Amino acid sequence: MNSRFARRFVSALAFAACAAGARAQTPEAPRAAPAPLQLATVTIGYVELEGDVRYEPLKAFERLTLKLRGHPFPGAQVGIDDSTALRRSTGAEFKLERMSVKAPADLAGAVTRGMENGVSFFLVDAPAESFKALAAAVKGRDVLLFNISASEDFLRRDLCSREIVHAMPSRAQLMDGLVQTLVFKKWRDYLVLQGPSAEDEEATTAFLRSAKKFGARIADHKKFAPGTDPRQREKNNPALLSAINKDWDVTFVADSAFDFARDIAYRTVKARPLVGAIDLEPTAWHWTWEHNGAPQVNTRFAKHAPERKMESADWAAWISVKMIVQSALRTRPFDFRKQRDFILGPGTFDGDKGLAMSVRPWDHQLRQAVLLAAPYSVVASAPAEGFLHRLDVLDTLGDDEPETPCRMNR
Amino acid sequence: MSNLRGALACAISAALLCVAPAVETLAKDTGYLFVSNEKTNNVIVLEPKTLKVVKDMKVSRRPRDMHFNAEHTLLFVACGDDDVIDVIDVARLEVVKKIPTGASPETFAIDEKRRRIYVSNEEGSSLSVIDLDQGITIHEVPTGAEPEGVYIHEDGKSVYVTSEVGDLVHLVDPDAGAVLQDVVVGTRPRRFVATPDGKELWVTTELSGEVWIIDRAKFANAGKIEFLPPGMRKSDVTPVGIAMTKDGKTAFVTLGHASHVAFVDVATKKTVAYVLVGKRSWGITLSKDEKTLYVANGLGDDVTVVDVASRKAVTSVPVGRIPWGVVIDE
Repeated sequence: MNSRFARRFVSALAFAACAAGARAQTPEAPRAAPAPLQLATVTIGYVELEGDVRYEPLKAFERLTLKLRGHPFPGAQVGIDDSTALRRSTGAEFKLERMSVKAPADLAGAVTRGMENGVSFFLVDAPAESFKALAAAVKGRDVLLFNISASEDFLRRDLCSREIVHAMPSRAQLMDGLVQTLVFKKWRDYLVLQGPSAEDEEATTAFLRSAKKFGARIADHKKFAPGTDPRQREKNNPALLSAINKDWDVTFVADSAFDFARDIAYRTVKARPLVGAIDLEPTAWHWTWEHNGAPQVNTRFAKHAPERKMESADWAAWISVKMIVQSALRTRPFDFRKQRDFILGPGTFDGDKGLAMSVRPWDHQLRQAVLLAAPYSVVASAPAEGFLHRLDVLDTLGDDEPETPCRMNR
Repeated sequence: MSNLRGALACAISAALLCVAPAVETLAKDTGYLFVSNEKTNNVIVLEPKTLKVVKDMKVSRRPRDMHFNAEHTLLFVACGDDDVIDVIDVARLEVVKKIPTGASPETFAIDEKRRRIYVSNEEGSSLSVIDLDQGITIHEVPTGAEPEGVYIHEDGKSVYVTSEVGDLVHLVDPDAGAVLQDVVVGTRPRRFVATPDGKELWVTTELSGEVWIIDRAKFANAGKIEFLPPGMRKSDVTPVGIAMTKDGKTAFVTLGHASHVAFVDVATKKTVAYVLVGKRSWGITLSKDEKTLYVANGLGDDVTVVDVASRKAVTSVPVGRIPWGVVIDE
């Protein structure tokens, strides 16, 4: 303890000596640090649902875990770590307040309580269905919620809330990224296999829409029913499902249960790659992305969650904190409305995916590249070469201004 | 077949043996170009007139930034995946020493007078202050995440470091081992060049596609320069490397994914020409006579040679995979 104090004292002395040093005639760097800052504390709320099924481990059966999943909270922690070097420049210290609730109905209450305690920014880690009540609770208030884990298009198109920013890519963005990549390869004919859940239906609808948008064709579209019932064999046997009288380039699978998808590869009639729920997945982030500083983000993430790899929602949590910190950095002195206007307006952000990101004014979706991830490498990033836009190539992914039914800011 | 290969190997090693004594006498001013290749873990040595490979040197993993000592007898190479700086004997073209650094060294600068190396550690988010002779770390200064460019003030008392994630340029007091001040610049600041009059520091900001100018006396922003080569989209403009003529009249900025080098008139801060080079151009160096530029194209696996007077790319020569930097011994 004493020696540490002594060391500090010595460096303070050395520092004082430097500060007192005579000025040379060549421009000298300013020597003294400004007086210690009074740091404002900016608390960012993190709202989540306890026992959220989306983060339960994916299992083949009880003792065979295929994939660990987790709340994206560690992603937000990386964002906070990254902000510490900016304390001097932002004049603020950023903190996370984690609020876990037991039922979806309690989420709005948690946000309201946070607001009463002066919190203006929240990361919302909740299933899509909970957003309606949240949006109603914050309507017209000085608050900004960041959707960090729900991709559902209806949140952008129909809920269309001014107080919500979607850092997680929409399903439309993801599927456009996938189809662009396929079309770039001239793989234009698809066999679509749709699972039984509502989520599978949503994913399929988005994929069909993207295929139409980029001029691809659907060779066939079938619904599968996982199981071994021989009476259902037309629906549960990959060979029979793929025995169609047309050729196709890739098989698209929508399977949120991640059950049947594992059984399709190498079991179709023809050797055709799988895309969608398995093998080539459109994602916001993948642990093998090695450009734009991504490996360093993954390393920083591993400090907080060594048991698993960084995934899309983790990335969305990280970029959301970064957007909040950046808005403080670029709009000093600290003021919520200025920060919000920066985030929703001229703010451009570095999400370690190459192109600078910004928020679309028409539906508050964050413009971003989509990564096409195979299990051990990112095969491509969309927008693919040759897909052009008059203003921003990132707007070739997802709902562009003329396409969205959301009438925000118009 | 294997005999033939053996014979070939013999011939090659014989040739190398013949070359070696000749090189020995050219300890200084070999004129050679050195290119570090991130993915193939080697430094390729090229003869600049013929652009033929003189030697393919195996170094530690992920070699990136390179600097000579003042006499050009040694070349230091930061190797990111082995957390070392390899030291190459320029006369012998061999690695003679390895200096341990912090996690993932990316770029660095050498202060010969004070016998120090300042290294930015990309993964460790710190600036290591290393004793050049003993090879030991004296200080580890915490910086913003992903520090990159390092520039030592002429008096040796301050060091400037960029933080790519923080959008900051730090002013570091290396003796106190602390950051004194920051200046906020554009998005993802990468590398520095100083004007010869010592008044300005130019910083490339990769994602916002600019060069920011810092007034060194005030340590404050003094403007910025934007780029847009004809036919390119703004989002492709990702400036990283930067060099300047000794008279301080012209700066050269590599524009990354926009595959061009911008020629900038320093006085007016206007871009006077864009020269087409290879894919993801980063590293850049100017020959001593300032007639030729060499540009490392990270995603083209080659180096482009640019004639400064005619503002044209003369040729491109394949090197290793993901070339990062290029330096010249003259």
